[in-house]
Amino acid sequence: MTVSLKKVAKSFGSVKVLHDLDLEVAEGEFLVLLGASGSGKTTALRMIAGLEPVTSGVITIAGRDVTNVLPKNRDVAMVFQSYALYPHKTVAENIGYPLKLRGLGRAERDAAIREVADQVRLGALLDRYPRQLSGGQRQRVALARAMVRRPKVFLMDEPLSNLDAKLRGHMRVELKHMQNTLGITTIYVTHDQIEAMTLAHRVALLEDGKLMQLDTPRTIYNDPANLFVAGFIGSPPMNMIRGVLEDGSFVKRGVRISTAVNGSRVNVILGVRPEDGNIVAEDTGALEGNVFATELIGDHTLVTVSTAEDSVTVKASKDFQARVGQRVGIALTPGRIFLFDAANGQRIR
Amino acid sequence: MRLFETKQLGEMAPATKIVVYGLLGLWTLIVLFPLYWVVVTSLKLPIDVANGPVYLPFVDYWPSLHAWKYIFVDIGLDTFRPYLNSVIVAVASTCLAMAIGSLAAYGLSRFSFRPRLVTVIVFILGIAGAIVIVARFGVDWRLAVAAALALIIIASRALQKAPSPHLSNSDVLFWMISQRILPPVVAAIPIYVMFQQLGMLDTHAALIVTYTTVNLPIVVWLMHDFFMSIPRDLEESAELDGASRIRIFVEIILPLALPGLIATALLVLILAWNEYLLALFLSTARAQTIPLLVSAQNATRGPQWWYMSVLIIIMILPVILLTLVLQRFIAKGLLLGAVKG
Repeated sequence: MTVSLKKVAKSFGSVKVLHDLDLEVAEGEFLVLLGASGSGKTTALRMIAGLEPVTSGVITIAGRDVTNVLPKNRDVAMVFQSYALYPHKTVAENIGYPLKLRGLGRAERDAAIREVADQVRLGALLDRYPRQLSGGQRQRVALARAMVRRPKVFLMDEPLSNLDAKLRGHMRVELKHMQNTLGITTIYVTHDQIEAMTLAHRVALLEDGKLMQLDTPRTIYNDPANLFVAGFIGSPPMNMIRGVLEDGSFVKRGVRISTAVNGSRVNVILGVRPEDGNIVAEDTGALEGNVFATELIGDHTLVTVSTAEDSVTVKASKDFQARVGQRVGIALTPGRIFLFDAANGQRIR
Repeated sequence: MRLFETKQLGEMAPATKIVVYGLLGLWTLIVLFPLYWVVVTSLKLPIDVANGPVYLPFVDYWPSLHAWKYIFVDIGLDTFRPYLNSVIVAVASTCLAMAIGSLAAYGLSRFSFRPRLVTVIVFILGIAGAIVIVARFGVDWRLAVAAALALIIIASRALQKAPSPHLSNSDVLFWMISQRILPPVVAAIPIYVMFQQLGMLDTHAALIVTYTTVNLPIVVWLMHDFFMSIPRDLEESAELDGASRIRIFVEIILPLALPGLIATALLVLILAWNEYLLALFLSTARAQTIPLLVSAQNATRGPQWWYMSVLIIIMILPVILLTLVLQRFIAKGLLLGAVKG
């Protein structure tokens, strides 16, 4: 089902945590709300769930205005960061609780529990209590409890953040597959850009309660709308160099790089991702500097070069070798250079 | 280095083990001795008590059931009635205090109350004024209360814009527990006069109301802590699953708070069961409770140790049994596995 937020705002006392948020989530879409802590992403999710009253604006689910509807009447299911399993109920009772509340008979309930439990591979653990399960198993119980009643919308609040790194990668794949199979609209909150990039159909990046960009992961990465988005997405982060724009060229201390932008400006920032730079011989690149450090990651090497005033990180091949202090040049891939207005952070196109 | 880690008894050096077990054994003796003393004294004849401190039945003296016969047969009904009174008063006041107190504690743990200090002061002044007017000028109390309430509402509305600090939940909690700071003996006389005026002296109702009131702060204070330890997520999750507020309280909160409820109820029950001072003021004959009967054995004929011992045994027996039965509920770590990975 579709979910839409129209000019939804939230204030706690005099503190405004969400500014007029507009979101349209399509049927069956996997939308990720991405942001640092305090960006308002969890508040937005809790308002969609109905756990947090809306200060102003309208929320609709499947075309119905639910702004002032109780959580239980919205037909949404939520997976909490803490899983929020009922500790005094067995796995089967936990999964079956939403059905019990809907007055389903025992036989019907058991069949539904069995089916969902098999989907998330919990079939053998139905009689256990949450305290007897591992973190990953608890996670799956929480998922099963959300799935069992086929809600209109899934809401997930950092569901993977309590798992260790390996399990998290595994559950990510499972989650993506499950959402794809069930086709239920999902809104997913995370601070982890990898989760956002890998899971989402579209990512909504929030900062200080404002929507910075809403687009597909590919577009967000390749065509960031502003300095914040460019800096938030990507690991290691995009290199940022301050300078001026003169007749379409970025200029700084003897460096002159032609860009796709025309005109002149005093205060600009040039952004280039590590993989869009190449270490070349001295005096042949767009930038010059001394090798500060090299880090072999495995499939590639990160080379940090200190230029006149900045530090630029470039991805090189795994065989790359250089000694510290060695003078090198950095060539930049044409067309992969971003320019931002240093004053307001907006992209200059 | 494991300087600050507690060791298991099993992994201690033999010498340490002996010392530790020795100390534990000594402490057990110290705790159990008074109970033993009461039991052996209940089996002594007055002459054996007078013969000085002897402790071994069949060796130091020949045990006799005379005291048990006196308490259960000779004055049987006079024992049974206070006993029943104690049961009625303790159980009823515990149930009331638990019901009212845990609901109040739940409210305090989940909702944020922000009464304005000005409003609270106006309310107190209004009620105090009404009392003074009724007492001094003989105005009909209904009229005085109605007038006071009207004045309170008008005054608090007029002062709505006045700057005033807010009180918070912790202030409410502290105010409640502060009711237990006064020694009860200070309040005993006013309470006595109050029930005398109401014609309720020597009734179960007077004792039940008093005990409930006295124990409420303890229930609220303890249960507030238990409710605070139950994660909010669980309630929100149940809310989204489709449960109503009442169902959440009954099906999620109460089962999880059960160890706390039982521990608190047990404590309050014991306090009510053992209470002596207020019972002394409020009950004379019909509503007399068992602690009064125990102390009554130290009467004109001097302390009747043997009768007292029997009464003490039958008085503490139900408490010991109850504690043994309920212990497993209290110790159970029910919250484990609720949240976190």
